[in-house]
Amino acid sequence: MSFEGLPAKATGKKMTFLESIYLVEIVRGLGVTISHLVKNIFATEAMPTMQYPEEKRVYSDRFRGRHHLMQREDGTPRCVACQMCSTYCPADCITIEGAEHPDPSIEKYPASFEIDLLRCVFCGLCEEACPCDAIRLDTGIYEIAADDRAKFVVDKEFLLHNKSDGTR
Amino acid sequence: MAKLTIDGKEIEVPDGTSLFDACREARGEPLPHFCYHPDLSIAGVCRLCQVEVEGMPKLTIACNTGVRDGMVVSTRNERVTQAAQQILEMHLINHPVDCPICDQAGECGLQNQYMKYGLYDSEVEIADKVNKAKAQVIGPHVILDKERCVLCSRCVRFCDEVTGTSEMGIFNRGNRAEIGTAPGVELDNNYSLNTVDICPVGALTSRDFRFQKRVWMLKAANSICPGCATGCNVRLDHEAGRLYRIKPRYNPDVNGRWMCDRGRMLYKAVHDENRLLDPARGGQTLRWAELDTDLLAGDGGLFVTSAHQSLEEMFLLKKLAAGGTVCGGLAGSDTGDSDELLLNADHTPNRQGLGLLDLPEMNGAALAEAISGTTGPVVVHGGNPAGEDVVAAALRGHGRTVYIGSHDNETAQACNLVLPGAVWAEKAGIFANRDGRLQAFSQSVARAGSSREDWRILAELAGGEVPGSLRAVREELAEALDLTEVNLNKLPARGLAPVGATSGGED
Repeated sequence: MSFEGLPAKATGKKMTFLESIYLVEIVRGLGVTISHLVKNIFATEAMPTMQYPEEKRVYSDRFRGRHHLMQREDGTPRCVACQMCSTYCPADCITIEGAEHPDPSIEKYPASFEIDLLRCVFCGLCEEACPCDAIRLDTGIYEIAADDRAKFVVDKEFLLHNKSDGTR
Repeated sequence: MAKLTIDGKEIEVPDGTSLFDACREARGEPLPHFCYHPDLSIAGVCRLCQVEVEGMPKLTIACNTGVRDGMVVSTRNERVTQAAQQILEMHLINHPVDCPICDQAGECGLQNQYMKYGLYDSEVEIADKVNKAKAQVIGPHVILDKERCVLCSRCVRFCDEVTGTSEMGIFNRGNRAEIGTAPGVELDNNYSLNTVDICPVGALTSRDFRFQKRVWMLKAANSICPGCATGCNVRLDHEAGRLYRIKPRYNPDVNGRWMCDRGRMLYKAVHDENRLLDPARGGQTLRWAELDTDLLAGDGGLFVTSAHQSLEEMFLLKKLAAGGTVCGGLAGSDTGDSDELLLNADHTPNRQGLGLLDLPEMNGAALAEAISGTTGPVVVHGGNPAGEDVVAAALRGHGRTVYIGSHDNETAQACNLVLPGAVWAEKAGIFANRDGRLQAFSQSVARAGSSREDWRILAELAGGEVPGSLRAVREELAEALDLTEVNLNKLPARGLAPVGATSGGED
């Protein structure tokens, strides 16, 4: 690799006497720090830090949060268990079992629908793949915490009532 | 022989060949088609395989045209591809395109051919499509969706020509034409699931496999059906250690392209709750490491195999027997229904193997007497001889009995030591079918519980006097069977025909 136009050897600027004793530069640096400190004490609104969790950042509407299964009008899942999402999923985190629906016009529904949130990479390919618009990552929920690995495997009931306001 | 030019390529085929087959040979892939099937009569109803023949004003369907010397045929020019595209569009006019809930998706003729020859934008509104009955149960194994049908009539011809039962037919005309069973008739024959195989779309699907798995997730393993002496060549579709279905595999010398419904359901036994999972002695579960073979001590003894075991296992049991008596199991066990097509009355896969290894079968009384008469150990390998009460009583009366088997049954109950063996899908082996044809099968799924391959169990019981690999067992077996010029480790794909048998059919 060659760097055209650059000298073959780096040549530093020779420091002046004041620079070489560092003391002046330390005082200048402290000046910057103290000016920020003063600004943050007297103008808190201008401070970039947020008071999380009381205060939360506003994300784009397209932010991909925790998944949510869409419901039909009668509250049953819109999903027909075609398993396009689990086929497409690069993290292999979706497990679906299909079964015969009592309504012959629907035919197939997911008897179980599980997502392992620890495996999920929130890429959104599942909602791309879904032919029924049954799975969305539109809840905006990114605070996904639990005290047990098993609790990260969420089931159909959880996903169906997984509201965007964070309540269940 | 006829010489013809297809897409500028000259080929020579025997007289009487159909143009469809000639085109397949020249192109290396078949023409688009739905109704053509090599084992059924020509219907010529789907009109997809149209080709341009020089001298003919219109396009002609290749399946119903014979080859002629000097024919010049185009299968890939614009006129032909456009015709295929338009015909396909017509087939799809009333198709519901419900691929997400269709079990055929992934192995569907419509999907594949649309991606290959279609790729047009549909001009039909969903609301304008003709609706027909969906999810109709038409028999014990088959479910019908009339909307998905493209009226290729393969199932109708199968029931007319192969089974001769004629349950299916096409009713009504025009866009109301639909496939169905004759009034008051169910599609209830032992070969009904073959209609599911040959259905190019999702109109006929299996009730047993319905919604179990999407087909692209399944892995296939070649095997041999253990259901009867015919030994149909099959494909086991499995995923994550579980079998989901059995499909026939083409072998013109044995089963052609078909297999029976009874054989297809045998995968269920692999995941049966009744499986023996751990070694047990007197009802107490053991670990393999704790196994004490003191029961086998002493000379003589009686060693009973069964026609369900592979040739290698029979051979090893015979070796294990050494000075003792060897018996091929209960005479006449596991016999039942048969038909003229494939199902044999002998419902064991390897009774010919008993003959090859000279293991005589005994009837219940004789076997019971032999058990009571021996002072040595009694080893029963597979089968269920204690299904007969006299044998069960004799086994209970004898103190040193060992059963090696895959499922819990009367014999397992009657024996002191029970060792869990593998079922056919969990091990490799060779069966000799009703004609004595040797066919190899290999392992497709992991063994249940702590069960072991039977040959390993037998090798362990024999204690170092037998070879340590199945490969070596087969080499010894070949020697014992006097098959010196045959490599049992690499049997031909169609199986090894017994000397003097003729091979039939094309590849």
